[in-house]
Amino acid sequence: MSTPTQTQSETRTKPEGKIARVRRLWNDHLPIWFIAPMATVMVLITFFPGAYDLYLSLIKEPTLNVFAADFVGLSNFSTAFSRGGALHSLIITITVVVSALILESVLGFVLAALVAGVGSGRVKSFYRVLFIIPMAVAPVSLATIGRIMLNSEVGIIPYVINSATPFTAPAFLSKMPLLTVILMDTWNWTPFMFIIFYAGLSSVPDTLVEASRVDGAPLWRRYVHVIIPYMKPVVFVATLIRMIDLFRTFGVVYGLTQGGPGTATQLVSINIYEQMFVNNQVTVAAAIAVVYLIMVVALCNIVIAKVGFDGVWD
Amino acid sequence: MATTKAEPGSSQRFEKDTREKIVSVVRHAILLTWSFVVLFPLYWLASMSLKPPGQANTLPPDWVFLPTVYNYLQLFQRSKFVTAFGNSLIMVAASVVLVLLIGVPAAYVLSRYDIPMERDVLVWILSSRMLPPIAVVLPFFFIFRNLNLFDTRIGMVLMYVSINLSLVVWVMKAFFDGIPVTLEEAARVDGATRFQGFRKVVLPAAKPGIYSVAIISFIFAWIELLFGLVLTNSKAVPVTLYVYSFIGSRSIEWSMLAAASMAMIIPVAVFLILVNKYLAAGLSFGVVLKE
Repeated sequence: MSTPTQTQSETRTKPEGKIARVRRLWNDHLPIWFIAPMATVMVLITFFPGAYDLYLSLIKEPTLNVFAADFVGLSNFSTAFSRGGALHSLIITITVVVSALILESVLGFVLAALVAGVGSGRVKSFYRVLFIIPMAVAPVSLATIGRIMLNSEVGIIPYVINSATPFTAPAFLSKMPLLTVILMDTWNWTPFMFIIFYAGLSSVPDTLVEASRVDGAPLWRRYVHVIIPYMKPVVFVATLIRMIDLFRTFGVVYGLTQGGPGTATQLVSINIYEQMFVNNQVTVAAAIAVVYLIMVVALCNIVIAKVGFDGVWD
Repeated sequence: MATTKAEPGSSQRFEKDTREKIVSVVRHAILLTWSFVVLFPLYWLASMSLKPPGQANTLPPDWVFLPTVYNYLQLFQRSKFVTAFGNSLIMVAASVVLVLLIGVPAAYVLSRYDIPMERDVLVWILSSRMLPPIAVVLPFFFIFRNLNLFDTRIGMVLMYVSINLSLVVWVMKAFFDGIPVTLEEAARVDGATRFQGFRKVVLPAAKPGIYSVAIISFIFAWIELLFGLVLTNSKAVPVTLYVYSFIGSRSIEWSMLAAASMAMIIPVAVFLILVNKYLAAGLSFGVVLKE
């Protein structure tokens, strides 16, 4: 690593040993050495995939020589939307993201508020630890649980519904697959909202809550006017992060239904996977990926810009 | 909930007491219900993994049974499962070490130095998490084939690093922000170099953060499926992928599936319970920590 700096320091000071010189170079430019690997990896994982997806989406078929590719304009995009089911999968994905996000936020907040109000510290931490455990369940294990418990023939849940209630159990995975996916994700990730909201609630100063109690504000007013506004940054970040992760949903659906029956649970991530590895339509897959990338990143940036990260940072 | 206007007297106190009792009962009823919702599926999976195969999915279920580790023994006798499990352990652990080596120093610099456009840099780092992995994996599929990284552990380690880097940088930056600068300044007055100040003073103070971010990174990499599905074939298959081989076939091997799933859940559950104190900070990218 012979940079100009090195030769300069050589001429300025007495001759140094090689190790001393390296050490000098290291210490003088510490911030650069510290940040360079991160920056390199970040460039590789943010700019490269987007650019490559875009390139793939514009060509006829992938070739070894990037410059010899046949550019076909936007035809891959029109294929994606006319025959590739892109629109359908986008709608399905947004349905799952929105409903799971609402369910998990509300449930997580209610549980957090209830646990925060428990009198005994020991009972409190018992609930806190217990409630985070579903997060340990990987999508693949979650799909396993779903398959075992919801199976129409051998599943315990249909069995209990059929034998203990007057209702007939629905065929969860074939008749209401999307709802099943949403509910399973809720089971899996409500803990995420719970634990962050719980931490947020604990950070609300007692004096603030006490003051509004003395003023005679009823419980719901205390939450709406005092506690939730105070927690706004936490609520915002939790929801944003969860939203980002919901757009990544893949494993559970892949394990449960593989996108089916038909295309009923074909989320965008499943759709892209199928276009690429089942249908061998790499360029169409890339076109969907480009649309999806732009949509998700734009949406997240709009949310960040609108709601603002400033309250969070400073 | 109606607030009672000031009406001093024992009847009000009595009313308040009963109301508090009712609130408490309702509270615990809801919390216990959710506890059941959380625990029952896990109990069911665990019990299935501990039943002999013939007893696994009989209906009505055998609520009372003699637990056996037969399924686990069978599972760990399958060399492919052991390989996949070992693969995951090695690849995930290596990725955690690497992501800490890359992320922690970068977070330190972001915390201590004036970086131009620091806000944009941080949002850019966060944006790497916004990229849906399926859109990211497509380019890497091709580049991995060309660089002979396809189906290698090194390739998978790099992908796992990419999942967790933003998390590490954000959380550790928040942690470093909370450590007084005076600490390392004192060390430098005593003759320590910048690097020594970082290594001997700042790092030890940030230990709790490093542990928790390491474990959370471990978990996120451990449960990852898609990269394994697309970027491996046989040699570097992670355990998440191997578990699907019990499902994919025409008949599902219920007991083995349950045992394999449990084998994946247990280590992560233990980790989660260990870091539960710092979990919120880690999952929220450090925001909760700063409150």
